[in-house]
Amino acid sequence: MRADRWAQGIFQAAFGLFIAVWTVFLAVIAVGAWHFVVINGWITPLLSTHWSPLAGHYGMLAFILGSITVTALALILAAPWVLALAVAGGRILRGTMQQTFIQLLTVFVAVPSVIYGWWGLTIIVPLVRRLSGTSGFGPLSAGVVLALMIVPTFSIMALHAVRQVPSALVEGSLALGATDDQTLWHMVLPSAWPALAQAFLVAVGRALGETIAVQMVIGGQSRLTSLLKPSATLTSQLLTDLALMPPKTPGHDALDFMAIWLVLLMAVLVGLQYRMRRGLRG
Amino acid sequence: MNEQPLNLKRLHPTRHGRTAHGLLAALAIVALLLLLSVLLPLVWEALPALTAPFLWGKGQGAIGPEVLNTLSLVGGSELLSFPLALLVGLYRVEWVKSQGPLLRVFDQFATTMLSVPSIVIGLVVVDVAIARWHWPVSTMTGIVALALMNWPLSVAYVVEALQQIPGRYREGSWALGASRWQTVRYLILPLAWPQMVEQAGLATARLMGETAVLIYTAGVNAAVHWSLWGPGESLAVHLWLLRTEGVGQNAQAQAAATGVVLLAFVVLVLWGSKRMAQWLKNA
Amino acid sequence: MVEKRLTKREGVSTILDIRVQELEVWYGPAKALENVSLHLEQGAVLALIGPSGCGKSTFLRVLNRMIDQVPTVRVKGSVHIGAFNVLDDDIDVTALRRTVGMVFQQPNPFPMTIFDNVAYGPRLAGVRSATKLRQIVEDSLKKSALWDEVRGKLRRSAMTLSGGQQQRLCMARALAVHPHVLLLDEPTASLDPVSTAKIEELIVQFKGRYTMVIVTHNLQQAARVSDLVAFFEQGHLVEMGPTHDIFTAPQERRTEEFLTGRFE
Repeated sequence: MRADRWAQGIFQAAFGLFIAVWTVFLAVIAVGAWHFVVINGWITPLLSTHWSPLAGHYGMLAFILGSITVTALALILAAPWVLALAVAGGRILRGTMQQTFIQLLTVFVAVPSVIYGWWGLTIIVPLVRRLSGTSGFGPLSAGVVLALMIVPTFSIMALHAVRQVPSALVEGSLALGATDDQTLWHMVLPSAWPALAQAFLVAVGRALGETIAVQMVIGGQSRLTSLLKPSATLTSQLLTDLALMPPKTPGHDALDFMAIWLVLLMAVLVGLQYRMRRGLRG
Repeated sequence: MNEQPLNLKRLHPTRHGRTAHGLLAALAIVALLLLLSVLLPLVWEALPALTAPFLWGKGQGAIGPEVLNTLSLVGGSELLSFPLALLVGLYRVEWVKSQGPLLRVFDQFATTMLSVPSIVIGLVVVDVAIARWHWPVSTMTGIVALALMNWPLSVAYVVEALQQIPGRYREGSWALGASRWQTVRYLILPLAWPQMVEQAGLATARLMGETAVLIYTAGVNAAVHWSLWGPGESLAVHLWLLRTEGVGQNAQAQAAATGVVLLAFVVLVLWGSKRMAQWLKNA
Repeated sequence: MVEKRLTKREGVSTILDIRVQELEVWYGPAKALENVSLHLEQGAVLALIGPSGCGKSTFLRVLNRMIDQVPTVRVKGSVHIGAFNVLDDDIDVTALRRTVGMVFQQPNPFPMTIFDNVAYGPRLAGVRSATKLRQIVEDSLKKSALWDEVRGKLRRSAMTLSGGQQQRLCMARALAVHPHVLLLDEPTASLDPVSTAKIEELIVQFKGRYTMVIVTHNLQQAARVSDLVAFFEQGHLVEMGPTHDIFTAPQERRTEEFLTGRFE
């Protein structure tokens, strides 16, 4: 079977290329990060907030805290809406209504993040400015924009988690005289829990990795003093500093160092997802 | 009490014990309205700028070049990454037989790569293509960056689509003496196309709106005369630039109008891929 | 909201017989049951037999209003359990379902411990005391003849039980909310002969204590456990009578054909 041998060869080559490309990809970041660590050590940059790369100070703590703050804020703000959309789409609506609902959410998943950023600049920043008397740029605005941005992705996954709860369990609960609400809290959500947790991890990853929408409304200052003052996240700082520190300039390696932490974080999140999926089967 | 009229009726489940469901349904409606509140102001602000010269003209501020750049960026990167992703996905599902730890390592590796923030991919492309290979900031560089983003994502949905095809189909085909390649070619692929096309539509829509990875690779300039190695500002980047650094009295309306055009393309891609998937399913 | 409760406490009805009058059920445009009337004394065991899709399960699911789960369903007629019309809009379905327990075709233990499975119903009905819950769980497991097998293992996941044990756990779970009526939807269809025998033994033991309606494909089973048999065909109740009479001298030709296997 010549066709088979050819096919297998081509497929194998593509598979090998995939692994090779991404290994090189990681190596590029790792080498840059290594250059950085040799000179600056790896613990000091993580624990210092003094960021002035042109003077050789690479304290990244403010960005790390910024990323954590904005992500946490976004997830907290998004959670109730996600729960509501998941239950409405997974337990209340049925048939064509349910399909339309999912389609609508899918459209919002595909809305580009730069448009969510536009909305933040046009609606949220002025609103925060008026309410607080500050500039309006800062982690709070970024958290709000990010929250709305992850709601569609997060709730579609949560919706499927809720929907895949076996009807035998739901009927079993109802047949014992449980009300619909009791069945939701005591049977549906606990049974959907592992899949919901996975959706949560994906949402964390999306929030941590989002760049453009956050960069547009966070203000771009390398410090974190208040939710209402301009600050930065790892990703937004990467975006702005790539212009200031192009390759081969001093300080460029610091960007690789930030990038590798982002990649490691993603690897941890993915590892947790897989562990959960295996727990689900076993 | 038995003599009630025997008329046909629907059963109304008692409202008792459905308070939480009611509250959540109300919240869900508010959530949808909130999401709509992103799009309505966009359209509203865009109206003054949505003029024929803006959309089709060649003059100052017209977005014709950005549209062309966006289409070539997205088209080029899909052309580059989708076939490669299809090959990788097919090999992963149809050829690799073991369920061993190596496979799990690969899966986790691929999933991690698809979660890598887009700006990190931009950083690496700048490091390698622009700094080391001296590529210009251009459409071509942008295509490579987008293709890198899209590759692991496409592998993921190809694998998912293939894994949904029950194993007994393959066994049935092998039992008839079909080879692995024949099974894939005549049985697996036709079954998997609809779902893959629909997912590819979603991925393409995502590429259209991608901004962070393109700013330093395809750049923030557009040329009237398109070339693969020329500046390749996309619609999304144009919107970002206008909205964050744009000056001029009309910049805000133009930003919104760019957003509306971008959104129109996104919806078009989603709708088109859905229709195509439908058509493939019925074919 | 004032809702009628199906409890003895309110003193309206102590005799919980089942009276069905001119019951009709549609799923959308399709008629699933047509003009079904029957009467079942308290404590009796009624077996529903008939070919697949004849409406047996639909009938069963009307009795505890699980039929509500089908969005397009419409009904006509009345179904009284004691003094209450189950089909009334203001009936409290949760109270109804506690009074009318149900066991499903596939054992559907909840993915939790054995104890929590049985305690699920009482807990949601408001039983808080740990001692009381333990008592209920023990009683229910004893009633369903599972106690000796799971004693000391109550904290294990219900998923570790065998299929037959799972089905008896589902029985115990239904008994834990103190029902008066038990609906059994082909309870042994997915079980091996030994487990089937144990379930049948339970049904026979429960006679007189619970009113039971059992859907079964197994005619021998109907003959072994039931007092009355109802034969359904295409949504019609063709014939109902004492088990012995139906099996030895059916009145209708259709029934006879079905029982002798000359059907279809």
